[in-house]
Amino acid sequence: MIKITNLEKFYRTEEVETIALNKLSMHVDTGEFVAIMGPSGCGKSTLLNILGMLDDPDEGSYVFNDIEVAHFNERKRADLRKHNIGFVFQSFNLIDELTVFENVELPLIYTGVSASERVKRVEEVLDKMQIMHRRNHYPQQLSGGQQQRVAIARAVVNKPKLILADEPTGNLDSSNGNDVMELLTDLNEQGTTIIMVTHSEHDARYSHRIIRLLDGQTVMENIMV
Amino acid sequence: MIKNYIKTAFRSLYKNKGFTTINILGLALGLLSCLSIVLYVVDELSFDKYNVNHDRIFRVNEDLKLGDNKVDYAVAMPPLAKTMKAEYPYVLEATRIKTAGTTHVKKGDLIVVENHIAFADASIFSVFTLPMISGDPKTALKDPNTVVLTETTARKYFNTTEAVGKTIVFNDNQNFKVTGVIKDIPKQSHFNFDFFVSLESFPDSRSNEWLRSDYNTYVLLKDKDYAKQLEASFPAFLQKFSGAQMQSELHMSYDQFEKSGSYFRMNLTPLDDIHLKSARTGELGPNSTVQYVYIFSAIAIFILLIACVNFMNLSTARSANRAREVGVRKVLGSSRQHLIFQFLAESVMVTLFATVIALFSAIALLPLFNQLAGKEIVLTVQMFTWIIPVLFAIVLIVGALAGSYPAFFLSAFQPIAVLKGKLSTGFKSSFLRNFLVVFQFGVSILLIIGTLVIYNQLNFIQTKNLGYNRSQVLVVQNAYELGNQASIFKQELTELPGVKATTMTGFLPTSGWKNTRIFFKDASLNQKQSMFPQTWDVDADWIPTLDMKMAQGRNFDKNIATDSSAVIINEAAAKFLGFNDKAIDKELYQSLGGKTELANTKLYHVVGVVKDFHFNSLREKIEPVVLKLGQNNGALSIRVSATNLPALMSQIKAKWSSLSPSLQINYSFMDQDFDTIYKSEQRVGEIFVVFTTLAIVIACLGLFGLAAYAAEQRTKEIGIRKVLGADVTSIVSMLSKDFVKLVVIALVISAPLAWYLMNKWLQDFAYRIQIQWWVVAAAGAGAILIAVITNSFQSIKAALANPVNSLKDQ
Repeated sequence: MIKITNLEKFYRTEEVETIALNKLSMHVDTGEFVAIMGPSGCGKSTLLNILGMLDDPDEGSYVFNDIEVAHFNERKRADLRKHNIGFVFQSFNLIDELTVFENVELPLIYTGVSASERVKRVEEVLDKMQIMHRRNHYPQQLSGGQQQRVAIARAVVNKPKLILADEPTGNLDSSNGNDVMELLTDLNEQGTTIIMVTHSEHDARYSHRIIRLLDGQTVMENIMV
Repeated sequence: MIKNYIKTAFRSLYKNKGFTTINILGLALGLLSCLSIVLYVVDELSFDKYNVNHDRIFRVNEDLKLGDNKVDYAVAMPPLAKTMKAEYPYVLEATRIKTAGTTHVKKGDLIVVENHIAFADASIFSVFTLPMISGDPKTALKDPNTVVLTETTARKYFNTTEAVGKTIVFNDNQNFKVTGVIKDIPKQSHFNFDFFVSLESFPDSRSNEWLRSDYNTYVLLKDKDYAKQLEASFPAFLQKFSGAQMQSELHMSYDQFEKSGSYFRMNLTPLDDIHLKSARTGELGPNSTVQYVYIFSAIAIFILLIACVNFMNLSTARSANRAREVGVRKVLGSSRQHLIFQFLAESVMVTLFATVIALFSAIALLPLFNQLAGKEIVLTVQMFTWIIPVLFAIVLIVGALAGSYPAFFLSAFQPIAVLKGKLSTGFKSSFLRNFLVVFQFGVSILLIIGTLVIYNQLNFIQTKNLGYNRSQVLVVQNAYELGNQASIFKQELTELPGVKATTMTGFLPTSGWKNTRIFFKDASLNQKQSMFPQTWDVDADWIPTLDMKMAQGRNFDKNIATDSSAVIINEAAAKFLGFNDKAIDKELYQSLGGKTELANTKLYHVVGVVKDFHFNSLREKIEPVVLKLGQNNGALSIRVSATNLPALMSQIKAKWSSLSPSLQINYSFMDQDFDTIYKSEQRVGEIFVVFTTLAIVIACLGLFGLAAYAAEQRTKEIGIRKVLGADVTSIVSMLSKDFVKLVVIALVISAPLAWYLMNKWLQDFAYRIQIQWWVVAAAGAGAILIAVITNSFQSIKAALANPVNSLKDQ
């Protein structure tokens, strides 16, 4: 599904150039659950942003579903993104002005799904995430665990092929964290590819494979059993 | 999708109630001011447009220059109208109007004093659109002793508009037949009369004199393009018709007259220009000036711009708070266009709310505005046919304008940058926002300086030594109604304790009575040395009663027989004639009309020079004045002592009633009369103050909002500074410094501009103030003070906050 080769990304300030990704190569197959780990500043988030097509690499190749996307413009990337990729953030990033239902509905609006179909699909996914009873609440009225479940519902409502999760349990207690990991595992078992950045060895154990980064390079890959 | 935009917009506005209130309030205030001014300007521009043929109607004027005397008249020669109609095929109709002055009209046993009476040719109804309710407009004013009334006047005298055939009595014994009732003349007319009396009733109207001008004359052309051709033909026309009279009376041909440096010309004023652009001698009523239309339009645009700027500033300042939302939406697949539309929808919604509020408050405040502007604007259903579309356009334009910058600015955010919280520098870095704040305060300072200068000038006028003392002078305006008994009344009043002096004449510095005569400097009657002074009949008590001072010579003396041929001139006249300080005993020959020869003159000798006194508006220089001893019972002026005025007043009223039981005394105080001369300036001053205040309030609202966001943006910085030992004062001054800097820049830019513009305005006054440095200093200090106070609300709040909370936030 994903194949990146010799990917490079630099950050420049006026005087210093920092290498975030240094000739990084990796691949992820369809249906995999991959965890990316590494210390702060190792390039995990940069990698995730590039994989999510929120950012483009300076050098190297990124092939997504057999399409070279490394130098796509913003519009093309946005188009590819909204149909194929769902995001889950550490800080949930729900829109405060919208209700649970409306937050989850948003990706469907942007992909032009009809209103009746939207209601059906949002209700379906809210049901699955067991937050149907909260559908008319606003994010501030929910607990952290509930907010993250809404965020996951929003990420999967469009039935993306790939979910990118950036420390999805980082703001949660362990019990809520475990629930979220169970949810992601379920999604993976139903066929969604998941790439997750995490600091937690515990969470990483839910994955099939751990890629460890240091200074923008892969230093180790662990295959989980 | 649209539904989603509106929903999000509404919720976002609701959530940020403070911000939304400031925005809507600011915009509503701006739109309200704008709307009120638009109504004012539209009203000013609509004058005389009620005439179906308004673009084809022209007034014929006469310009006269005789030696150094120059007068531009709004009136023309008695035979002009009929001659023009006969002479030019494209002059379809010509008509004359002549004001009749104050007239007594009988209503049962009552006598009503009417001031809005005019003589008019029968053709008036073919030129102007004055729809007749009853009567035949073609014949209504054809015969002598006929009169046409307005609807209101007909009701007043006959309780019905079916007044045709009835009789109305003028001045006790003149019977006039009502031959028509017209609809009331619209307020937006340069003339306003209640009665039109047929000019046929007035023998002078058949005069064939071409060397005098006293009829307001209007022509209706076949096409407005004939105006140029018509004006070009005037010199030949004048030569043809007035040449003979000029030869016999002035002993010179038309060409010689022009060669001697004098002239006698005619020109046209389009009807549409009369209200705003004409200020000639002999206008049918006070006109306005186009200058104020420009000034107020500029103010309206400025205020609206300030309000828009607020919107833009506040929205972009808030951008950091909305950045996350933008980021999330982009991650979820929103395109830039979607976001732009979303933000535009939001600003159009705010504008819509504001417009609705502005419209309703404009309607509610219209009576107040009318009072302020001295207007009688009425909102009609017909007006809404343009107001609503205009407002709709305003909603879209202002909404798009105010929303465009935030829309494009916010939608351009890079999602990862904002989701990572890298956008906190958003506030400080905006050059555009600083520019906009400078603009707002620049305009505010401009308006403050403008207001101060106008007020200083008005104050200067109020307190200027006018050459006479207008306080404690009671003027009985209808003294002439006592007829022969007027002098008895004067005598009786003089004996009252508390009355210091009395003078009987209608010629007063505040009365606006004018009377121009021609004087020659010596027996050669050289018209190059002629003078066109105001020539006033006064009595020997005039100068003492008005508390005027003599520069040379003496006042009139009843006991000196030769004073019947004595004159007192003012300093301006002495200077004009070259007498300077040796004016006493100099001779003056007054022309009595007819041929210019000694037999047609009267010889006067100068016995005194009175110090210059103002009798025109201070816009104009003091003209030469010649005072003669004469009988004029136009008004009785009484200098009274300030003590126990009410008692004195009732004594004066009692004296009046004993002489004339059926007539009401009509009096005023001279200082009030004086104030009415400056009413238009006073009005403009007041309007200026109101709108300047509004502009400043709107600008402050914006600054208040900006300060709130500035403080919010820097919460963490403030927290760290406090932890490191900064005190509240240093933090407040740190936060205020940025804004004060901007206001100072605004001052530097707008002060010279204001100086220039206000000096231009002052040029209109012959007597004016110099703009003082402190005016600019005060405006600047005021603006800075306002900025600091507004700002400190927010910065003190921020500075007092517990740093632990702001630091924990991250």
